[in-house]
Amino acid sequence: MVKNIGYIVLIIFGVACGSDKEDYVPISQNPELAFTIPSNFPEPSYNVTLNPPTEKGFELGKKLFYDGRLSSDGVISCGFCHIQDFAFTHHTHIVSHGVDGALGTRNAQPLHNLAFMNEFTWDGAAIHLDLQPIIPITAEVEMNESFSSILKKLEEQPEYVTLFREAFEDQKINSENLLKALSQFMIMMISSNSKYDKIERNEGSVFTANEAAGFELFTSKCASCHAGTLFTDQSYRNNGLAIDPEYNDIGRNRVTGLTSDLYKFKVPTLRNIELTFPYMHDGRLKTLQDVLDHYSDGMVDSETLDPVFKNTDGTILGISMTEEEKQQIISFLKTLTDDDFVNDTRFSEF
Amino acid sequence: MKKFLILLITLIVITSCKDDDDAKFGALNVDFINKAGSDLITLNAGFYTNMSNETYTVSELKYIISNIVLIKENGEEFIYPVADSYFLINEEVSSSKQITLDDIDAGVYTKIRFGVGVDQSNYPLNGVTNFIPTAEESGMLWSWSAGYKFVKFEGSFTPQGGTSSDFLLHIGSHGTVLDNYKEITLDISNTLTIGDQTTSNLSIETDVAKIFDSTNTYSLEQKSDVQVDPVNAPILAENISTMFAINNASN
Repeated sequence: MVKNIGYIVLIIFGVACGSDKEDYVPISQNPELAFTIPSNFPEPSYNVTLNPPTEKGFELGKKLFYDGRLSSDGVISCGFCHIQDFAFTHHTHIVSHGVDGALGTRNAQPLHNLAFMNEFTWDGAAIHLDLQPIIPITAEVEMNESFSSILKKLEEQPEYVTLFREAFEDQKINSENLLKALSQFMIMMISSNSKYDKIERNEGSVFTANEAAGFELFTSKCASCHAGTLFTDQSYRNNGLAIDPEYNDIGRNRVTGLTSDLYKFKVPTLRNIELTFPYMHDGRLKTLQDVLDHYSDGMVDSETLDPVFKNTDGTILGISMTEEEKQQIISFLKTLTDDDFVNDTRFSEF
Repeated sequence: MKKFLILLITLIVITSCKDDDDAKFGALNVDFINKAGSDLITLNAGFYTNMSNETYTVSELKYIISNIVLIKENGEEFIYPVADSYFLINEEVSSSKQITLDDIDAGVYTKIRFGVGVDQSNYPLNGVTNFIPTAEESGMLWSWSAGYKFVKFEGSFTPQGGTSSDFLLHIGSHGTVLDNYKEITLDISNTLTIGDQTTSNLSIETDVAKIFDSTNTYSLEQKSDVQVDPVNAPILAENISTMFAINNASN
């Protein structure tokens, strides 16, 4: 009898507070995706554990990325200016185009390996990947849209209601989940299968003689800024571009207000650089040859010109390169092209 | 024995869910009363004078309040859920000047702490991005950046013997380079009691005169357009951190 009472007591404890649990409905299968850090890459800056990519989150992020609803005219999606074939840049467009044919002032940056970057955009105006999309979405000359309006549009779409519900625990359509989904999509965009990677990881590829010479030149002449396997030290520098009177883009100064940051821009990664023309923050240089010509002969002095380009007496040093050396460096830069990445259907619109 | 069993079961049923009912929660309305010195602010119509003898009117006054914490005499803190604690106070919209905090642990509190602006260490956590729609509707997002404007204070001013011109003070953080987020702790001298299922009231006076004259003296002639300004924004932010005072607590 005592034993029986024990059981009854246990059962009562078990059910007495159970009313909340009855509402529990298991959410549909939403497995986490493997976020794999390439063996030649550093640790990511993005805290993946706080927003682990899942199947549904990634699917939602991709749908949002390619959806014109994120813009005021219903046409300009993220993917409009970030085209996969060109490592997610706006092919041949000097500056980005926005709604109603508006022109931006800067060249769309490639999207890859974003989980490994500390700050975003040419001037570092976004200090976290989850915040970056705020800029193009709200900029008048880009997507010219508001979050309130986007969220309203998404709520009217049953597929979005379902996707948000499946992707996030709180099931809500809100700006946090929208940005998290975009990040889940974007952090999966890892480009690490170039010829260079296969050489760095000893996977059997070898440089041609030209590429090898170019790599050696690159290491001594370029790698102090385009450092490491991501080919950027993520700093902001003035590389001696003449000020374009049309834009008078003050660069990093716009974010910090510091005079010492005038005309400084983020040192860009050089991965897939062969595909991401035109070059520089305003797309003023059309080819890699033009870029190297700028560094050897085209620099303009100013207060904030990076000291690495100056002689001790203050005159411009630039980077001295012969024509042959430039060709070798370009050969090397082309080994940073990752065909697997630009053809990876996981990231493709269709 | 049977009686004993029934009694036992009854007792268990009654007591086993008691945990949920034990805690007592109350609500708190916090009113923000925007003033310039001793005068209530009247947008576009009230004239005020700062210590640099500049007469000014206010056309726009907005600020973000966040990270609200109530502190008991023994130092124990009630941290209001951070994700629910972003508020935009807009002088133009009277409903925005009263914020309601729910489900606060009952008790006697002697201090309140809150932030002006957004703590960058919350990026991208704690629902900080869910404040975007509110901020963008009120023009509290920098248009070229992904950060919030913490304080927006605009109007026109006339220096002594001079002519009138506009002023525009926008304070926020500048990327990771300069953080103008400030936390403010105010003593509630007559204490604030949060009861069980009752609503208490607290009113806070925001004195914009302190933006000009407080820890630092700031004259608009010096610079009347402050947006991303690494020199003047921190000076103003320091003054802003002194502009709040408890007006009254009622329980």
